[in-house]
Amino acid sequence: MKLLSSYIKEMKIAARGFYFYVELGIAIIMLLILLFAIAENPDSKSKEYLFNDLPDAMTDAFVEEDIEEGVARWADDAELTLKPIAFEITNEETGELASYNYDEEKIVTARVLEKVNTQTGALTGTTYILDNEEDMIRLSYAEQAIGATTSLDDTGRLRYKYYLQGYETDRMVDLLYVLHNEDPDVFAASFDSQQVRTLDTFGTLNSRQGLVPLFVAFAGSLMGFFIVMAYIFLDKDEGVIKAFAVTPSSVWKYLLSKTMVIMTTVVVSSSIITIPVMGGQPNYLLFYLFVITTTFAFATLGLLVASFSKSLTQAFGALFVLAIMLMLPAFSYFIPSFDPVWLRFFPTYPVLQGYKEILVVGGNVGYVLMYSGVFLVGGTLLFLLANIKFKKTLTV
Amino acid sequence: MISVKNLSHSYNKDETKAVNNISFEVQKGETFGFLGPSGAGKSTTQNILTGLLKLQQGEVTVGGFDLKKVHNERFNKIGVSFEQSNVYGKLTAKENLKFYAKLFDVETRDPDELIALVGLQGKEKVRAGEFSKGMKHRLTFARSMLNNPELWFLDEPTTGLDPAIAATIKDIIREQQKKGTTSFLTTHNMFIADELCDRVAFIIDGEIKLIDTPKNLKLEYGKKLIDIEYVKDDKIVKETLKTVDEHDKKRISEIVNAYDIRTMHSKEATLEEIFIEVTGRGLV
Repeated sequence: MKLLSSYIKEMKIAARGFYFYVELGIAIIMLLILLFAIAENPDSKSKEYLFNDLPDAMTDAFVEEDIEEGVARWADDAELTLKPIAFEITNEETGELASYNYDEEKIVTARVLEKVNTQTGALTGTTYILDNEEDMIRLSYAEQAIGATTSLDDTGRLRYKYYLQGYETDRMVDLLYVLHNEDPDVFAASFDSQQVRTLDTFGTLNSRQGLVPLFVAFAGSLMGFFIVMAYIFLDKDEGVIKAFAVTPSSVWKYLLSKTMVIMTTVVVSSSIITIPVMGGQPNYLLFYLFVITTTFAFATLGLLVASFSKSLTQAFGALFVLAIMLMLPAFSYFIPSFDPVWLRFFPTYPVLQGYKEILVVGGNVGYVLMYSGVFLVGGTLLFLLANIKFKKTLTV
Repeated sequence: MISVKNLSHSYNKDETKAVNNISFEVQKGETFGFLGPSGAGKSTTQNILTGLLKLQQGEVTVGGFDLKKVHNERFNKIGVSFEQSNVYGKLTAKENLKFYAKLFDVETRDPDELIALVGLQGKEKVRAGEFSKGMKHRLTFARSMLNNPELWFLDEPTTGLDPAIAATIKDIIREQQKKGTTSFLTTHNMFIADELCDRVAFIIDGEIKLIDTPKNLKLEYGKKLIDIEYVKDDKIVKETLKTVDEHDKKRISEIVNAYDIRTMHSKEATLEEIFIEVTGRGLV
């Protein structure tokens, strides 16, 4: 009864306060971003500039092959403006530095070849075919896009020369080398030793849905970590904790009522983000179980941090370090190749993975249940520690 | 109702004591004044008695409960009115009292009745955050009466209140005295202590200098005084002289014979004057 009374009181205070609406506002902003700024299946539209130093018949033969396969189509010729520009290019093979300086504006006509997605028919990129290499280089540099020249060597074999911008990764450069290497023995030997990880999540969640775990984890559970501390420090400032401390009610009821408010808020904010994007696809029973257990664990972590400080200012140092640490697993979420073992010990790592498993069709229910249990037990231990610490410091 | 034996407390847990080896008892139904200037150790003592500070050294029982053991149920018998008002600003006056009422295991008073008692009628549905400092203080005071406390801790109950409201608060305290409530009143206002307390303790630098009834203190330490205003060299001069002091007696005679007397009043020493005489220190 006392716990219920405290919870109702805390909900009233939260609903009349600032942080409650901050959390809901952030959830709504995140939903709007998901719905209106993130496409479900975004096409990466590349742009490249090409000069074919080849007989016309040969060029046409290559293009016709792509058109027949449905991966490309001709578009209307485009008039491109080449503005005055000066730049230098280093030849990676020879190390030679070539300077280019153009004072005059120039208009050129390029043939336009559009690349399309064979399944969706959507435009995936545009290749501008120029009739001389100099214009191609100038456009490539001005537009910060990849440029290439194809030609025939003395033996009649195709030769590719790429003009890159310098920001491309080594992997991308290596890929270009491999792509045109006609001797499969060069890389065949390493095929067997390659570790291949299937990114099945992204196969079943579209780009918009793929962001939901991240948004729910950070706008929900992690936000609960910060806001529970804000609530505690507001009470300390108002002095109401002292008045609570001279009643027969226990400290743990006070702390649990705060945690329950956070869990309620996070259930609402995570629903705002998830339901409009995911519809009826996820198992919501599992989803809310995970929301509640993870939020409980993060809120009690917030309580424990708050129990060591007198004010939000004093807690800021610990908060900053913890916030950075808790956000690190987001990198692994977006860059699956970056998945060191140590990162898995950060609590946000299983939170992100757990939400992913819940949202994906046929996800790993066992993983979610296991971590729900881990967060519940961990949260309870943190709660007990916070309770012990608060008994000593709550009124100081 | 309260028994304190050899109580000491150090915030830094070293030899610097905020309260140093104090002992006293408060009887059931008594109003006990704990008087001293800021930093004397009044609040530290009260915070220990109310459980806001952990007992470090000494033996203390409050309402029959030994403070070395945790007894949350003791708060059903205790009411605390804090010097700094501490109510939920986002809750209305009535919501504040209703919430705290639910935390007790004993029958509680009607919030509306308490709100009216402290002169806040009509403000029941106003959020406490919109209250003036004095109104918040009255709400804090009202909250301390919710559980009909047998033991009532009052920390500067009239500080910051205008005289009319302060008089109302004093009347409420007197009413509770008649009902047999034991009160522990912490203040640096000697007039309030004189008006309300059965016994007072003078505390300074963490040590109790004396404990007695205001009447006995005045009998023992207070000496009859005469305030004289006279004209000397066209200027009004004031002097306060003791009627029991031979030197002062001669001085009174000199003044009466030599100067034009404007006013002359006899008076009793105040508790504040006795405090200064006993401790050698003022109350600020």
